[in-house]
Amino acid sequence: MSRALDRAGTWIGWAFFADLANGLALTFGYMFSRSVTMQYPDKEKWLPYARYRGHHFLKRDEAGEIKCVACELCARICPCDCIEVVPYEDENGNRHPAKFEIDTARCLFCGLCEDACPADAIALGQQYEFSSFSSRDLVIGRDDLLAKPGKAATGGGVVAARLNTQKDVLVETNEPRGYNWWRNIRRT
Amino acid sequence: METVVALGLIVFKVAFLIAILLLLPLPLTWLERKIAGHIQQRMGPMRVGWHGLLQPVADGIKLLTKEDHIPAEADRFLFKLAPILALAPPFVVFVAIPFGESISVRGTEITLYLSDMNVALLFVIAVIGIEVYGVIFGGWAANSKYAVLGSLRTCAQMISYEIPMGFAVIGVVMLAQSMSLLDIVRAQADLWNVVYQPVGFFVFFVAGLAEAQRIPFDLSEAEGDLGAGFHTEYSGIRFALFMVSEYVIMLLVSVLTVILFFGGWNGVLVPLPPLVWFVLKVAFFVYLFMWFRFTFPRYRYDQLMAIGWKVLLPLSLANIIITGVAIS
Ligand code: SF4
Ligand code: SF4
Repeated sequence: MSRALDRAGTWIGWAFFADLANGLALTFGYMFSRSVTMQYPDKEKWLPYARYRGHHFLKRDEAGEIKCVACELCARICPCDCIEVVPYEDENGNRHPAKFEIDTARCLFCGLCEDACPADAIALGQQYEFSSFSSRDLVIGRDDLLAKPGKAATGGGVVAARLNTQKDVLVETNEPRGYNWWRNIRRT
Repeated sequence: METVVALGLIVFKVAFLIAILLLLPLPLTWLERKIAGHIQQRMGPMRVGWHGLLQPVADGIKLLTKEDHIPAEADRFLFKLAPILALAPPFVVFVAIPFGESISVRGTEITLYLSDMNVALLFVIAVIGIEVYGVIFGGWAANSKYAVLGSLRTCAQMISYEIPMGFAVIGVVMLAQSMSLLDIVRAQADLWNVVYQPVGFFVFFVAGLAEAQRIPFDLSEAEGDLGAGFHTEYSGIRFALFMVSEYVIMLLVSVLTVILFFGGWNGVLVPLPPLVWFVLKVAFFVYLFMWFRFTFPRYRYDQLMAIGWKVLLPLSLANIIITGVAIS
């Protein structure tokens, strides 16, 4: 009995377009719901969680000295072979990198360098906006890495932003011979 | 002197109408994209102008400056003719459409219609039928299989849906005892036709959706299976003409629905100027079109035909008979 009633109800609903009306009501509700769009890069942008693996940065200790001891373990473990470390010894006999370059064009942001580091000197931060018009600009040197922002205390939220203007981006227009991708691969 | 003033008034009205009809698709595209965006929890255009209001202008400039490409194997004459054939009839139809009785400007009465034909309804339905030639020629001339398939579908769809559409308005004509749109609106001064003719309204509106080739009946330009249907090969300004024609037809179907079934400029309860009532009602139906578009899926081709011939046609015939019996 109830099944027959059910079926009759379904048919009556069908004849009066109950299903179509349901659909319309649903989309009408969505029409006035908050939109999930993030207006990147005009107004807001996403700050990733702290575990995000973005741009590398080098840390300093409390004395302000660079933490890295130039052991080259990160360069060894890097699957892309994109870290180049040249050590020097300062007057106290401590090793530090004279040159520390990461070719972020080749880096796959695996985070292995962070894991391998015995001195807790290198880490991957939350910055993800470092596209460039020239792949040469993507080779980041020691001082730039030291200046990069470290881990933010918070993450996973929307922060106010504004479109990067052209002048903030380094543009290399006159590249005479083109960039040699294999320049940094050391043959061992 | 009298004739010169009258002639000048007519020329002015025609120019005004054409300007409005040509410019209206701009805000309508913006509105459509906004509605689409918000229904899908997006924002729609935001970057050109305040909330993307200048986006249609940017799009227009883009379409005007783009390459006007004609495929190598195309029938060049028909290819160029088709957009004009698609655009002209919807504009011509508006000659017969009244927007209100009349307004007085500094003592002179100005009628809000170009002509009060005694066969206006017949004129509208006949002229709007010509639009399908533009679509068919466009699809045929492009010499592309998607375009031909699209125009074949359009052809079948138009033929199947113009019949119930024509039958659906007969009930209205019987009630008003006139084919003049003006008289039809005047006859609805007390009670709108939709109360007497709910079935007629339903059939007319569904057939109008099909006539305007909007979802759920946009078989002729089904993006999913036909690329873009009959205008696959069109680019630049010719494509823009097809778009304008599509929006004007959408507007036309809304206007016709309001005039035939929703009392035209006759208001209820709230005393607003008649023209405002008219615009509000038309805006509601335009919104309904867009709302449908982003709610419903597209009907399959055989379902489209089945709805046209097995549902709408018998319904509209029964509507005529019942109306006739009820009147006599
Ligand atoms: S994140 Fe991985 S690929 Fe990038 S520098 Fe570190 S180890 Fe190399
Ligand atoms: S960053 Fe760490 S692993 Fe790499 S050279 Fe410096 S101390 Fe060694």
